[in-house]
Amino acid sequence: MKRSKYLLGASLISATLIAAACGGEGENNEGNTGNTDNGGNNADAQEENADADADADADADADTDGENAEEGNNTADEGGEPSEGGSVTYGYTAPFAGVMDWAFYEGADDSYPLTIFNQGTLYNVNSDNDFELEPMLASDWEWSDDNRTITFTLEEGVMWHNGEELTAEDFEFAYEVIGHPDYQGPRAYTVEGIEGFEAYNAGETEEFEGVNVVDDYTLEVTFNEVRANNLENLWSYPMAKAHLEGVDIAEMGEAEEIRQNPVGLGPFEVSNIVPGEQIEFTAFEDYWEGAPNLDEVTYRIVDGAQAGELLAQGEVDIIELEPSQAGPLEGNEDVTIETIEALSYGYLGFKLGEWNGEENVMNREKLQDKELRHAIAHAIDREGIVEEFSEGYGTVINAPESNIRWSYPDESTLNQYEFDIETSQQMLADAGYEDVNGDGYVEDPDGNELVLNLAAMDVPADIAEPRAQYILQTLQEAGLNAQLMDGQLYEFNLFYDLVEGDDENIDLFLGAWGLATADPDPSGLWRSDDLWNYTRWVNEESDELLTEGLSEEALDRDYRQEVYQEWFQLVNEELPMLPLNSPEDIYGINSNVGGVSVDVTSAAGDAHEWYVEEE
Amino acid sequence: MLIYTLRRILIMIPILFMVSIVVFSLALAMPGDALSGQIDPTNADPEYIEERREELGLNDPIHVQYGSWAANILQWDFGRSFQHQMDVTQLIGTRLPNTILLSVMSLIITYILAFYMGKYAGRNPYTKGDYAVQGVNYLMLAIPSFVAALFAIFIFAFQLGWFPSTGSVGSGLEQGTMAYWGSKIYHTFLPALVLGMLTTASYTQFLRNDMVESAQKDYVRTARAKGTDENTIYNKHILRNSIIPIVTLFGFDIASIIGGAVIIETIFSYRGIGELLVASISNRDSAVVMAIFLMLSVATLIGNLLADLLYGIIDPRIRVG
Repeated sequence: MKRSKYLLGASLISATLIAAACGGEGENNEGNTGNTDNGGNNADAQEENADADADADADADADTDGENAEEGNNTADEGGEPSEGGSVTYGYTAPFAGVMDWAFYEGADDSYPLTIFNQGTLYNVNSDNDFELEPMLASDWEWSDDNRTITFTLEEGVMWHNGEELTAEDFEFAYEVIGHPDYQGPRAYTVEGIEGFEAYNAGETEEFEGVNVVDDYTLEVTFNEVRANNLENLWSYPMAKAHLEGVDIAEMGEAEEIRQNPVGLGPFEVSNIVPGEQIEFTAFEDYWEGAPNLDEVTYRIVDGAQAGELLAQGEVDIIELEPSQAGPLEGNEDVTIETIEALSYGYLGFKLGEWNGEENVMNREKLQDKELRHAIAHAIDREGIVEEFSEGYGTVINAPESNIRWSYPDESTLNQYEFDIETSQQMLADAGYEDVNGDGYVEDPDGNELVLNLAAMDVPADIAEPRAQYILQTLQEAGLNAQLMDGQLYEFNLFYDLVEGDDENIDLFLGAWGLATADPDPSGLWRSDDLWNYTRWVNEESDELLTEGLSEEALDRDYRQEVYQEWFQLVNEELPMLPLNSPEDIYGINSNVGGVSVDVTSAAGDAHEWYVEEE
Repeated sequence: MLIYTLRRILIMIPILFMVSIVVFSLALAMPGDALSGQIDPTNADPEYIEERREELGLNDPIHVQYGSWAANILQWDFGRSFQHQMDVTQLIGTRLPNTILLSVMSLIITYILAFYMGKYAGRNPYTKGDYAVQGVNYLMLAIPSFVAALFAIFIFAFQLGWFPSTGSVGSGLEQGTMAYWGSKIYHTFLPALVLGMLTTASYTQFLRNDMVESAQKDYVRTARAKGTDENTIYNKHILRNSIIPIVTLFGFDIASIIGGAVIIETIFSYRGIGELLVASISNRDSAVVMAIFLMLSVATLIGNLLADLLYGIIDPRIRVG
């Protein structure tokens, strides 16, 4: 898996944005996808977003990463004993699309109900163990000697809601659907690496060569080439073959079998869907990890602006909150606030070049000087930004990676770029940037005026503007003539259009990325031929290290970590972008509800452990 | 009358054509498209996005895009929602009943409020009661609906707990049962009240002014002279005459109610057309946006037509126009 982009924030309306882009937001969590909600979502979003939404808003936070179910054990309430019965309402702030299948869904809005009723993957990844893979539906797996074939041994006795037992064929079926020429969803890349994909995807054969069902509980998958992240990239959700077999793959995303009567293997089964508004679940007694405590769970969409109040009123029991909503609830006895470092980061990007249609070219002279970038970094008060604009929910980071993952480098080896105007001024002077014409701002070494345009998104609505202004203010104090590009903030979609299109006015931009849960591979955003390498930073050593991080040798975790450590140090020194912070996702949980595991993508995992304390 | 009606209907065709061009251009002018929110390598890659753009025809020249869109609409095919991955007609179909329920309830609330307030003010003009009614009216007219909605939520939902603040139906109910419909109406009441209050002012004032005016008319004086009792004069002679012109306001209201619903539904998280529109705009789900805009335009046109026809029925002189 690669990374995902975050919508910056979702505000109330645009929370939906996020849906698409995966919401979540850099500085402030949320996403809501989308964003976004508002956003688009951040939606997302987005999606914003939201991130997307709102972001979108986008919201979402979480980047909805479909690949991995979460499991965590941040039990909300250590107190009461789990009791039987009762119901819990899980809230979200952007309407859900209603695509109740992992292979077809698009946004965070659908991923939460999916987690509730269909959590089940080959392996499990969560923040408790630094995102190491743990057995789940596959009790064990083993690589062949040539590291190309992996053999999964599946749990026995795992039941689908329709009464069928999970077998290796359900996985084979999932690969056949996703690899199929008629498949319309976005996840073909998760099976691309399997041997025989080309022929199968072209429709030349009915057989997916690399997927082999040995017996009901044994599955073999053979890859084209040996890569360190083959397993992490592989599609890991089964599909209920008996339920979906007869459905035309081209139409599957909108089939009744997915929209109205989805079948999963999670602790709750879907009993009723009110489109875009709520989904009701009832306990599934045959759940393979044990019958759930609760009788019912409801997934309910509420207005994002009211989330805090609804939680306090008991209308929803679990919901993700904005930092500004969490503050007032901190002293409330009815609500428990749980936070978790989000798998995302906000950053200040330096536009170094352009995309020429095939690859990135570093052809913008203005910021080419590394010393200038370092000076800018020292002139940004990252601690202050987290403290003031995210209510302290977040951590300043110096590597573009989640600081709770095993791959996060040793901070002590990284330049810290402390906020210090004098250091910044000194560095500018040393690099030849002096105020020649006496206007209070430095000119470049050739004596030309140096104006830096900052592009920023308008989400989250309440802090986007002051945050951008604060950054400009400290840059100006350091003697840099920094301005808001066109004097305004940009709407999420427009912002990324401009950034992706390398608008000639952009020098600095405030963006955010979400990260995949299972795999830390930065390819997709950092290589010289990645479109989404928005800074257009080209560095041979970086490309080599990224390739090395996926090599056969990197199947050894320690080696891979060393490679990434080296790469993060390179990025930290070259500084094509300044990571700002790793935000925290904040969940509000009703104090009567226990057993809730808050994890990086949602708090919906392990719903069978939820319980309601008796009054 | 028939010819007049036909002519009005025919003239809607070029208007709709122009509206469709405006709607299409606006949708196209929004920065980004449904796919620009999808920059999400965990879910997609640039090739996939480019492929889908090609597939959806987003890379075609504008006139080609418009042509195929318009041609499809003539065949009642409004395209597919990218966000919801379903046909737009089907999607709107799932949301429309909620909006209709909301609109009908808000109209009923408007009528009830306006009838009693207008009747009282019209019968007692220039009294303290009349001024109080006017004051309330102007207040309702002046408060933006989103402010009124937030106040209503704060007071009735959060403080008093009388009504739910969000959603259009409760959970655990079987569709079609009495309890289900009860829950729907219960959920719809608060947004309908806020929406209904918006349009109440004009009705009340119309009714009041007409009654004040009618009270000066000769036939009223005659009735008084005959010794008819005051209640009969007001309820039978004046009120009946004064209500008729107000009926025509209904046509114009269709547009304003649906327009108002966009905001109200969003604030109340009430899943109707308005909320869908706002969400689709943020998601750049242009097929949905265009379909809803067209629908609103048609509703406005039909509303105006209805208003004019009702005028014509009430006042034959209008037909000439």
